[in-house]
Amino acid sequence: MKKWKKILFGILMVAFITTGYGFYMYTKKPADVRTLSANYELSTAALIEDYNKDETAANVKYLDKVIAVKGKVKEIKLEQATGQATVVLDSGDPMAAVTCSFYNEELASVKKLTEGSEIVIKGKCTGKLMDVVLNKCSIEK
Amino acid sequence: MKKTILITTAFFLFNMVNAQKKYFTKTGNASFRAGTAVEDIDGINKSTTCIFDAGTGDIQFAILVKGFEFKSALMMEHFNENYMESDKYPKSTFKGKITNLDKINFQKDGTYPVIVKGSLEIHGVKKDIETTGAFKVTGETVLATADFSVALEDYKIEIPSLVKDKIAKTAKIQINCSNSVLK
Repeated sequence: MKKWKKILFGILMVAFITTGYGFYMYTKKPADVRTLSANYELSTAALIEDYNKDETAANVKYLDKVIAVKGKVKEIKLEQATGQATVVLDSGDPMAAVTCSFYNEELASVKKLTEGSEIVIKGKCTGKLMDVVLNKCSIEK
Repeated sequence: MKKTILITTAFFLFNMVNAQKKYFTKTGNASFRAGTAVEDIDGINKSTTCIFDAGTGDIQFAILVKGFEFKSALMMEHFNENYMESDKYPKSTFKGKITNLDKINFQKDGTYPVIVKGSLEIHGVKKDIETTGAFKVTGETVLATADFSVALEDYKIEIPSLVKDKIAKTAKIQINCSNSVLK
């Protein structure tokens, strides 16, 4: 009788834990990049140089990684209707810059930026089209 | 006679000015929906690049697959690793032509229906598509919008039978790009 109870208890525990874990995975939100620390800290010029040299190798290194990139603000784009804010950082290369797409909640802090000022932006690298693109960005410094 | 020459020259001059105009954005929106009644599945990409030439009608879109944002971590993982294989195929592109360019007046504000024909590359597979959209001209900016569907099967995106009732067979894609004149 006791042994039987123990087994039942064991089975219930396992079922409970798996359901709990399943539910946790199912409802888990994507990581908030703002709370993560950067895998790489570098200048826009260095990032673009790496991509210009060898895009495949650069993708292996930077893709999906959190990068804190330092550069001069070239352009600020605010979309009031959607709350979308994008900052383009100059890299010294006229053909390729770093485009940083911000979290919608960061709109207010992006508004305070001025063109030409030097800042550090943290975000997740998604690859290179014409520019290297970071998304889920926030202002680091 | 003189008048005809003048009109023709004016016409060509006007066309040249028109031909030089290119529109461009790096911050366009592209989103997709592939959910069913069982579950909502949607992602949005806010860094879509779009360029088109008002003179020739050439139009191109490019998108980084890794740049899609989701509300769930698991969805993002499955999208990148199982379905789109974004490490292998990091970009999706569309290259095509506007086929009814003569019906669009970029000098006059308004909304114009647009027909676009070209090759859409997703998941490493290129396929010819034709779709309709709209251009909303407001001064120097052109808002390009389009709604269309792609069959996942056409792009060799396989859905395991286990999740078949959760994922739609066709994904609805929505494009919303506010382009400005490229100088």
